[in-house]
Amino acid sequence: MNTIGKACIAAALMSWSLASMAAEPIKIGVSGPFTGGSAPMGVSMRDGVKLAVADINAKGGVLGRQLQLVERDDEAKNERGVQIAQELINKEKVVGTVGFINTGVALASQRFYQEAKIPVMDNVATGTIVTKQFVLPENKDNYVFRNAANDTIQSAMIVDEAVIRQKHTKVAILADSTNYGQLGREDLERALGVKGIKPVAVEKYNLKDVDMTAQLLKAKQGGAQVVLTYGIGPELAQIANGMEKLNWRVPIIGSWTLSMGNFIDNAGKNGEGARMPQTFIQDPSTPKRKAFIEAYQKAYKVDRIPSPVSAAQGYDSIYLLVAAIKQAGSTDGVKVREALENLSGTVDGVVTNYSKPYTHDDHEAIKSSMVVIGEVKNGRVALAK
Amino acid sequence: MEILLQLVFSGIALGMIYAVIAFGYQLTFATSGTLNFGQGEALMLGALVGLSLVGNIHGGPYLNYWLMIPVVIVFGALQGAVVEWIGVRPALKIKSEFGWIMSTIALAIIFKNVAENIWGKDDLTFPTPLSATPFQVLGANVQPMQIVVVLGALAMMLAVELFNRKSIYGKAVVATSNDRDAAGLMGINTSMVITFSYALSSATAAFAGVLVAPLTLTGATMGTSLGLKAFAVAIIGGLTSGMGAIVGGLILGIAETLTGFYISTGYKEVPGLVLLLLVLAIKPAGLFGKTAIKKV
Repeated sequence: MNTIGKACIAAALMSWSLASMAAEPIKIGVSGPFTGGSAPMGVSMRDGVKLAVADINAKGGVLGRQLQLVERDDEAKNERGVQIAQELINKEKVVGTVGFINTGVALASQRFYQEAKIPVMDNVATGTIVTKQFVLPENKDNYVFRNAANDTIQSAMIVDEAVIRQKHTKVAILADSTNYGQLGREDLERALGVKGIKPVAVEKYNLKDVDMTAQLLKAKQGGAQVVLTYGIGPELAQIANGMEKLNWRVPIIGSWTLSMGNFIDNAGKNGEGARMPQTFIQDPSTPKRKAFIEAYQKAYKVDRIPSPVSAAQGYDSIYLLVAAIKQAGSTDGVKVREALENLSGTVDGVVTNYSKPYTHDDHEAIKSSMVVIGEVKNGRVALAK
Repeated sequence: MEILLQLVFSGIALGMIYAVIAFGYQLTFATSGTLNFGQGEALMLGALVGLSLVGNIHGGPYLNYWLMIPVVIVFGALQGAVVEWIGVRPALKIKSEFGWIMSTIALAIIFKNVAENIWGKDDLTFPTPLSATPFQVLGANVQPMQIVVVLGALAMMLAVELFNRKSIYGKAVVATSNDRDAAGLMGINTSMVITFSYALSSATAAFAGVLVAPLTLTGATMGTSLGLKAFAVAIIGGLTSGMGAIVGGLILGIAETLTGFYISTGYKEVPGLVLLLLVLAIKPAGLFGKTAIKKV
């Protein structure tokens, strides 16, 4: 063996012994869109996650080890999400991953976590099917957990707001052509069906569409008294602005994405009054929320959190995952999943205090009682009165 | 009736956006037989540069909307000249049939990436100089800015046509487009004319960018789909006719809004593209184009 080879082995041994002396950090993946139309959600989620990790690390980490985040931008693209999932699992060897903003990306990527038996916390994606992708009887155990208000909860609340509270009987649905929009539209139609209402118009649009005249005219011609939406910020703003073009004023009620900064900014006064279900509103109503909002504002030097819901859910997802790791006393995926399904004690979160959030067959932490209706008011989201 | 009128008005505003970009394709095709596949990106850059001047994203506003337009047009002209100089001239020099296709596409991608790094990937609002409140025309609603888009586009195309027909420089452009070699022998600096045509085409696109930006959102990705649609318009109308660009744009714009309403919003873009295929099959030179005879 030549000297170079010996040197290599010596170096490898040395680094190995050094690494084992200091406890290795626990790697947690963070996957979300940090650029593009969904970026306000992805960036807020990531920043919420970073806040939680900084808090936990400052208190000594978990199991005597520090947490280390591995952040990846999935650009809201399914194929990027799949690549990232494989990289995080096989190369970075993460203990768990938090994230997924886009329902389509979540559905495409989760398979790899399921196969690798690594828990994944969906902290934003709301498609109802997300946590039902791997359930009995085909799969004994499900590794997909969520702490976001799913579309079944949201669509029921949207319909309640439109039909019961605001007493509209003629509704139109405008949904984008992505997985998110179309799955949400199905949930909305189902929720309307329960109330015995058939929408007067169900219209679809593509991302980046600049003209919504045809869709809005159909809704207007059908005599719609309210527009229900399922889409993301930029196109929702096009809808609100398109209504101004037609000089047509009816309320907009839609999924939680109406709280996105890029909807509120781009729609301006046309977006005022839009209502949506929210798990968290930037309003210091409890000490925990006050501390969280102030920490976020201080750390990222912003006044308005781009997507408060994503930030809060991202923050909580880390606490839920860490509680499970602590309870399992291990970072083994199977044990962490079992711990998540049987969490003892309560996890103090920003959205709510989670007590027994998950069971083996129910992987949804957010129940409808934890969700409120928000309203866009003066460029911010406030609790709807 | 009101509905139809409303759809037609929206279609006209949309179609004129396509027409201006398509017009840019024709300007370069006429003189050099090449196209700038980065027309959409020229529009996007124009809109974003305009936004930096009149918006508050880079510490502005520095200028008011109307004063910003000439600055953006000059910027567009420079950008077009750069594209010609880097991407097209080398290909023409070695008489490459298709080199310019890849090089203009490559430049378009580079411009898009640069823009993403300067202005971010998010969509931004463009401050509008006019009230957004629509007024009624025969029962349909029209926004003042939509009128400005249509009139601005028509005025610009008219100006370019007048320049080409009346001025001596314009005659050099026409001569080059008729027969580049003969024009060169007559003492016209044809490579200068080609650079000029590229500058002019990007300037029109940049101008179109600031015209449409208040109606749409502004962002690094806004050019891609508009550029492609405008290319379809240029083919439908014919690559050698300014009239063709306008008619082609109106046909595509109105077809999109009508299909969206009367058939299905899911099929909004189909009729325009079916029309494109029909035109290519029946009259390949476009509705208004002259059939080019290519000697081999």
